[in-house]
Amino acid sequence: MKNGRFYVGLVGVALVVTYLVWTGISDSMVYYLTPAELLAKVEQDRSFHGVGVKVSGKVVSGSYHKGDEDFVHLFQVHDIEHPDVAFPVVYRNVLPDTFTDDTEVVLEGRYGEDGVFHAKTLLTKCGSRYEAAPADLAGQGTAE
Amino acid sequence: MTALGEFALWIALPIAFWGMVMGFVGGYHKRGELVLSGERSVHVVFILLVLASLGIINAFLTDQFQYWYVAGYSNRDLDTYFKISGLWAGQRGSLVFWAVLVAFFASITVFQNRNRNREFMPYVVGVLQGILGFFLVVLLFAKVNPFEQLGFVPADGQGLNPQLQNYWMTIHPPVLYLGFTAFTIPFAFAMAALLSGRLDSRWIVLTRRWTLLSWFFLTNGVIFGMRWAYEELGWGGYWFWDPVENASLLPWLTATAFLHSVMIQENRGMLKVWNMSLVLLTFLLTIFATFLTRSGLIESVHTFAQNTSIAFIFLVFMGSLFVAAVILIVYRLPALRSENQIESFVSREAAFLLNNLVLLGAAFAILWGTMFPLVSEAFTGQSIAVGPPFFNRVNLPIGLVLLALTGIGPVIAWRRATGRNLTRNFAMPLGVGAAVSIAFISLGVRDGYVLATFGLSAFVLAIVAVEFWKGTQARARIEGEGYATAFIHLVGRNRRRWGGYIVHVGIVLIFTAFAGRAFEVEVRKALNPGETVSVASPFGHVYTLIYEGISSSREQNFDRWVALMTVERNGSPVGSMSTERRFYRVNRQMVTEVGIRSTPMEDLYVILADVEDFDGIVANDPDAQRIVVQVMVNPLVPWIWYGGVIITIGSLIALWPAAEVVRRRRVLAVEEESPEALAGAASA
Repeated sequence: MKNGRFYVGLVGVALVVTYLVWTGISDSMVYYLTPAELLAKVEQDRSFHGVGVKVSGKVVSGSYHKGDEDFVHLFQVHDIEHPDVAFPVVYRNVLPDTFTDDTEVVLEGRYGEDGVFHAKTLLTKCGSRYEAAPADLAGQGTAE
Repeated sequence: MTALGEFALWIALPIAFWGMVMGFVGGYHKRGELVLSGERSVHVVFILLVLASLGIINAFLTDQFQYWYVAGYSNRDLDTYFKISGLWAGQRGSLVFWAVLVAFFASITVFQNRNRNREFMPYVVGVLQGILGFFLVVLLFAKVNPFEQLGFVPADGQGLNPQLQNYWMTIHPPVLYLGFTAFTIPFAFAMAALLSGRLDSRWIVLTRRWTLLSWFFLTNGVIFGMRWAYEELGWGGYWFWDPVENASLLPWLTATAFLHSVMIQENRGMLKVWNMSLVLLTFLLTIFATFLTRSGLIESVHTFAQNTSIAFIFLVFMGSLFVAAVILIVYRLPALRSENQIESFVSREAAFLLNNLVLLGAAFAILWGTMFPLVSEAFTGQSIAVGPPFFNRVNLPIGLVLLALTGIGPVIAWRRATGRNLTRNFAMPLGVGAAVSIAFISLGVRDGYVLATFGLSAFVLAIVAVEFWKGTQARARIEGEGYATAFIHLVGRNRRRWGGYIVHVGIVLIFTAFAGRAFEVEVRKALNPGETVSVASPFGHVYTLIYEGISSSREQNFDRWVALMTVERNGSPVGSMSTERRFYRVNRQMVTEVGIRSTPMEDLYVILADVEDFDGIVANDPDAQRIVVQVMVNPLVPWIWYGGVIITIGSLIALWPAAEVVRRRRVLAVEEESPEALAGAASA
């Protein structure tokens, strides 16, 4: 058997993987937006309410409160570049430990017709907590 | 001590470059004394990097917060373990840690080969010192110097992120880094083979153990990471397809491919270009993983740094290595021609090649999915993300093919399998696999992927069991030994083969455990003391947890609230478990410690989701005990860890030098003293 026939097999595997990646992406991709982008999209096209999206923004300080039931969390999220653009969020699950009133969060879910973002997943982005900025330390400094 | 550490870094830089130049020039001009100088420089750089690492650890242990790095990752009350692990807690220390491990392995390599393989060693030294030189340049000039001072002394440090204050912090990163760095040696030998022109299988034989060692550490590093993520709430369970998790999996996938494809080159003299490409790709991916974890380029729950300034330097470094290696491979193409051709699709070569293609396919899909937000933003201006559904969807079918090959590869004949070979080896295991699948269908399981996983797992286990049985039986008959002795001798005679089979058993257990995820059960409930929550296991029994109460205490670095539960299985008590919340005072952060009660078939997993009144508990108020819990039964999860232990045993058997190998090596060492071997040994 010539290696030529073997390349057919190789191309075959490559095609199958490409097919899996292609269909996988088109079936599970979500837009990754900022709150401002999301609100603009929804305004343009009402049907965008039903589309699953990923949004990264910041929790509005002091906006967090527990819902009437356990596992229901309510808070507001605002755009990082446009702090006045905000919307309410409801999240029904266990909050990550790093969630506070002040964190950057990445939400996945839908922006409902009711004007509330129903988050299915919530991740916290916590760069500042993992690595201290020298500026934060300056306040407590003593002369060398 | 710490000042000496910084000084050591500055000295190491010119010495590394000296060693690189000596290696390359000495190799090219066949000047033994230059090569020897290069080799000695490797040991010197290693010692200097040890000093630098000790300097950093010393700064942590003695609370020298005038250093930016120490202030950012430690505080006075931090446990000593975590002060020591400060060396790899952040980007800056990690780079030093990475370099010292590479230098350690480089030093061992130079020592082992002081009288052997002299045609490779000059270039091996050149490549290794070049890589170390790069890391030193980054450390000293890319604003990531771990010895950078703040200019004032803070009263206390910022503390280590509480999520990292876990015993896995002292285990998982070092093991993973050992895996990443050990692969530098096979890469250096591959490049040395290209540079020296000695392109037979010698470099592969020489680096076989290094590759296996690297793979062994990588595997354990990834599994330890899974265990850590499993215990840590908010990291999405043992595998979340998070960019950092993916980054550690990528070199594992290509290293696994390489581990298999070198066997084809050794046995059949084929796939030489392919192996060169795999070694290059794996090495680049280990650097990529180190860099992605520590650069913050891609968003991840595990990204422990936000410094993207070194991203560009790393990309340039990886790009130049890639271009240089590809030029070398193309230049040596005539010498890399295959000695044989694949004769049939039904052969071990074909099975191994398919395994390679599938592993690479998985790596490509995962890399693509991980980078997709960046790629889509660069091309469309619109960031699009893919999550776990994408990775599961793509990798489930790929994983099943791999699982099947785990059984097929070891027993199918080389060159061309006959019908007889196929029936003899596969008829019975196929029957076992089918029987297992049918059994699960009759139990009501309808998920196709789950049925396929269980069926294929049984198929592979049957194949391995039959191989062990046939081998032991034959040996017992021929040598007249008892079965136990025959078994031990059998494994000892061909450690790589039988060790490999044992590793395959571990892999099968892990795949089976993944399928167990389809049967997870979850219950949430608010509880007052004395109240119970029940959860039914998919294995038929019912767990009942009785909430006994919650207590608080003050520890060195945190305050803690511990909720205690009594566990009953089908109504009879089987023990107790606890789940807790901790408040790390310096970081002002809450951390949930989940409670896990492990049995061979399943884990009972309890999360303290909410505490009604923290202060009330501290004040011992009996009415302030209400909590909210989430209780899960995670079937088969313990099999991941069992699989890891079995893989470790198998790898150690394969790594252990067999008596014959040691003898053969002595003979080889004598043969190597041929006139064409480089002058280095003579001048030593």
